[in-house]
Amino acid sequence: MKVPVRWLADFLDLPTRDPYQLERILVSLGHEVEGIEEFAPSFEGVVVGLVEEVGPHPNADRIRFCRVNDGDATHDVVCGAWNFGPGAVIAYAGVGSRLATRTDHPLTVGARNIRGITSHGMIASARELGLGDDHEGILLLEELGAADRDDLGRRLEDVLGLSDAVLDVSITPNRGDCMSIRGLARELAAYWRIPLKDVRPRLSTHSEPTGFEISIAGVEACPRFVAHQIDGVSVGPSPLWLQIRLLAIGQRPISNVVDVSNYVMWELGQPIHTFDAAKIADRRMIIRRAEAGETLETLDGVTRVLESGDILVTDPSGPVALAGIMGGSSTEVSGETTSVLVEAANWHPPSILFTSHRLGLRSEASSRFERGVDPDLPALAAARAVELIALTAGGVPRERAVDAYPVPVRPWQVRVEARDISRLLGPEPSFDESLVLLKRLGFGVAREDGRAVVTVPTHRSDVTRPADLAEEVARLHGFDRFPDLLRHGKDGKLTSGQTATRRLREVLVGSGLTEAQTLSFLGQADLDALGLPRHDPRRDGMRVKNPLREEEAILRTTLLPGLIAAAARNVARGIKEVRLFETGRVFRSAPDPEDPRIPHQPVHLGVVVAGSDVNVFSVTGLVHLLSRATGRDLEVIQDSLPILHPGRGATITSGTAPVGIVGEVHPSLSRAHGLEGRVAVVEVSLDALVSGSRAWDFDEVSVYPPLVFDLAFVTTESTPAGRLLEVIESSAGEHLESLELFDEFRGGSIPEAHRSLAVRVTLRAMDRTLSDREAGPILKGIARAVDEELGGALRGDA
Amino acid sequence: MDLQRLASTVDEALERVAAVRDLGELDRTESETVGRRSAVIQARRSIGSLAPHLRKEAGKAINEALRTLAGAIEERRATLEVEAENSLLEQDRVDLTLPYGRPRRGTHHLLTTTMDEVCDIFRAIGYRVAEGPELELAWYNFDALNTPPTHPSRFESDTMYVEPPAGDERSDRDELLLRTQTSPMQVRFMEDHDPPVYVVVPGRVFRTDTWDATHSPVFHQIEGLAVDTDITFGDLKGTLAHFAREFFGPSARTRFVPHFFPFTEPSAEMLVWFNGEWLEMLGCGMVDPNVFDAVGYDPGRVTGFAFGMGVERLAMVKHSIRDIRHFYENDLRVLGQFR
Repeated sequence: MKVPVRWLADFLDLPTRDPYQLERILVSLGHEVEGIEEFAPSFEGVVVGLVEEVGPHPNADRIRFCRVNDGDATHDVVCGAWNFGPGAVIAYAGVGSRLATRTDHPLTVGARNIRGITSHGMIASARELGLGDDHEGILLLEELGAADRDDLGRRLEDVLGLSDAVLDVSITPNRGDCMSIRGLARELAAYWRIPLKDVRPRLSTHSEPTGFEISIAGVEACPRFVAHQIDGVSVGPSPLWLQIRLLAIGQRPISNVVDVSNYVMWELGQPIHTFDAAKIADRRMIIRRAEAGETLETLDGVTRVLESGDILVTDPSGPVALAGIMGGSSTEVSGETTSVLVEAANWHPPSILFTSHRLGLRSEASSRFERGVDPDLPALAAARAVELIALTAGGVPRERAVDAYPVPVRPWQVRVEARDISRLLGPEPSFDESLVLLKRLGFGVAREDGRAVVTVPTHRSDVTRPADLAEEVARLHGFDRFPDLLRHGKDGKLTSGQTATRRLREVLVGSGLTEAQTLSFLGQADLDALGLPRHDPRRDGMRVKNPLREEEAILRTTLLPGLIAAAARNVARGIKEVRLFETGRVFRSAPDPEDPRIPHQPVHLGVVVAGSDVNVFSVTGLVHLLSRATGRDLEVIQDSLPILHPGRGATITSGTAPVGIVGEVHPSLSRAHGLEGRVAVVEVSLDALVSGSRAWDFDEVSVYPPLVFDLAFVTTESTPAGRLLEVIESSAGEHLESLELFDEFRGGSIPEAHRSLAVRVTLRAMDRTLSDREAGPILKGIARAVDEELGGALRGDA
Repeated sequence: MDLQRLASTVDEALERVAAVRDLGELDRTESETVGRRSAVIQARRSIGSLAPHLRKEAGKAINEALRTLAGAIEERRATLEVEAENSLLEQDRVDLTLPYGRPRRGTHHLLTTTMDEVCDIFRAIGYRVAEGPELELAWYNFDALNTPPTHPSRFESDTMYVEPPAGDERSDRDELLLRTQTSPMQVRFMEDHDPPVYVVVPGRVFRTDTWDATHSPVFHQIEGLAVDTDITFGDLKGTLAHFAREFFGPSARTRFVPHFFPFTEPSAEMLVWFNGEWLEMLGCGMVDPNVFDAVGYDPGRVTGFAFGMGVERLAMVKHSIRDIRHFYENDLRVLGQFR
């Protein structure tokens, strides 16, 4: 909310006008200042001048020749306006001064020859000074009460009070009472312990009462409705002071009646609506909820289709205003209006919020009603509006307002004990000091030994409990004055799963993978490209009801599409080799095993490797690494799987349970991402890998020398190498220390559809040096087992 | 050989040894000066032919001469061996600025390292780390956190809602949404643990925000919660000021100003003085009694404070990153800079 310092000064004898100091104080009270703007006139070098002579122009009928005194000298000026004579106090724009224009570029005034006479400057109209639309004549400062002859030569902005600092204050949702100059002034008055100079409208009325019949259907929708009529009004431009006030807060002056409404809303925080009283049928108003499908043409000319939660002001002929949001065009105040009905009402905040949101009609008024407006305010605000309309548009108010207030809200009481405050705030401030602070903020305080009854004014609907009072105390005491105490907890351990996850990330980074963060969303096209079979749970993605984009409408069921897309983006940007991993949640439609009210959201680890020289072996080794890092025995079981290349994919199992997949992605998938080469991936459920214990026992190492044998076996192509290693391992006996596959060979003497696999077998005994004689039977046992179980033949030493 | 000749032979031999240039030449010189055919050895052999009273003195002199020569030769050999090795090593010189053999290492994502760093700062003062579901119930994200059904943050313009699985009828409280904050885990944690509670919760959160330099529909927060029998506003201030010094450096200054959150009362915002300006760094406050009620804690018996901070914002401020999109594009030229 824009807060001009000069306006604030209406309510307070400000100890300082320094906007930065005001900012510091407001911020310390909880009112964030988003910026400090300078409200500067849109002209420069314009001074108060006196018209000394006015005469006809020798060569033209419609313009006149004047002599203008600017305090220093007298200048010849040609002027086209006729609303003044000699002795007028005017705004003189001399040669070199600058005036407002309709564009962003100011006009620099020069000496101009007008029909044979050189005019040294201009006498400015309101429009030329950027002070509204009035261009009928020049600005007459004395008539406006803005300046007289004593001000001759003074800068116009100083005389009009045009330069000001404007604080842009952001009001938190709980403090609707601060959505006004008066509300913030009240805060500052409490801070400085100085009195608030409140508004006290004085009305000279005629004897007839407003006399409207107001009926409210539903006190919840409309707790209060005040209507006050003023007759004999003439709608026209606002006086300069009012226009300047509105310009300072960034509101465009429109007409006296409209400008007063805005002014009162800003000043007091109570939105005001004005009707042309003559256009309301039967002098009767009914406030009620709309029926679905009802329509109302609002002031902006749009016909609004209403829903049942909307609140309407109606007359016997139908809706006349959308309560708290916008008036209707049928009862709008116009240039012909002479009787104005001023409405100051209180509306149900959530209803205003929902309606304004639904219709996209958020205004200064709705933003106040959404937060809640003090129900005590309408009477004061209506009187203030009527007072100002009388002042600016003429007219005489009726004797009384109609005040429909079926269930008046009274100040309420909160009982508070010393401990209620100290347990939240500590020993300082003391209970006595706390109560003093509350009093300063306008709370009533009645002390009863050790406790107090605090009476809360109606504008503080946010205060209902002792904790709320503690906040008020803390705020005014000053957050900076509380001590800084370091609070220690009792247990800073990570869980074993958290430790394992951190270690796993470290291992992956150490092996050359870079951690990515991809979005948690997929599009239908991403899922379709995976080619998943019908009952695959990864196909059953949960849908976002209100996605930002269709490509982000489904919660990810796998990390792979995001990672592959990230890899593709890097390759497209010229990166040769991309190795990424991510840990993050995926979403399943099945219920969570621990909390069945929510869907299951397991944490997955995904890896993608793309770029030159990538194949499935770029990632199979990672499975081994994961085994080592997590202490799980992970096995790779080759299989033809969705997402993956049918001959280059495998299930990863832990024990017998599948925990993930590894392989090259199906070429159709990499093509869909615009990747030409092979793309290798891993995806495993991290929950399965990092949960539980990682206990293990040390194996003693032998001090005796090893025997090393290289053996080559010829097996069929369909025999997996992993199977060969298993058979060797289980047949080699207790002295097998290590087993390593180091060569794969085809062709030469190897039969068709066969291959030779060479392994290095290291044997070593714990208690002695193993002899060749002992090794012989071991090797024979291995060869026999390979022959019997796999039909593989020993080729002799490789 | 008389003693005088012996001395001059030794001098001559020492000069030769000193002049030797390589190990081969030294071997030859050795055999010529102290070898079997050398003058000194010959002289020793002929000692027997000397008069007995001269033998002892001659033997002593010759042995002395041999020791001197052998010592000089060994010394020279050692020198030449070092020179020879040096010259070989010189030929073995390589350019170590060649970029060969660099171990391949990736990088952690800055958001992960930032979350770990923040969690570790709080672990060091006794806080546990907990994580919670991203797809949440409206109850945990809003109701239990004292956010009324009419609060604007529940609008679809702020919160992403998720269709329940087919056939799953849900009440408003059980409506599924992508959590807009890590705070729901406060509630879950308190439901599962009795006080005292000291916990931080890092994690992913979601808002209906379109992408720009400072907004992203997916981002990360770290939530903190301390509940005990005697926690006051001063504990909140001191703990978070400690965090700011640990994270931003020992000279980090902090300031607390009143603010509003539905789930804390009083509520505050912490500003940190960093790089010459006050920056809004996190929201915090004393846990609202209604939140304690919602989780079954007795608000008359315990007090506590809670705080929440944006991980992206922490990282952006600390490392001068100006666009949040860098975190989610996964461009290796960006990720590679994270340390």
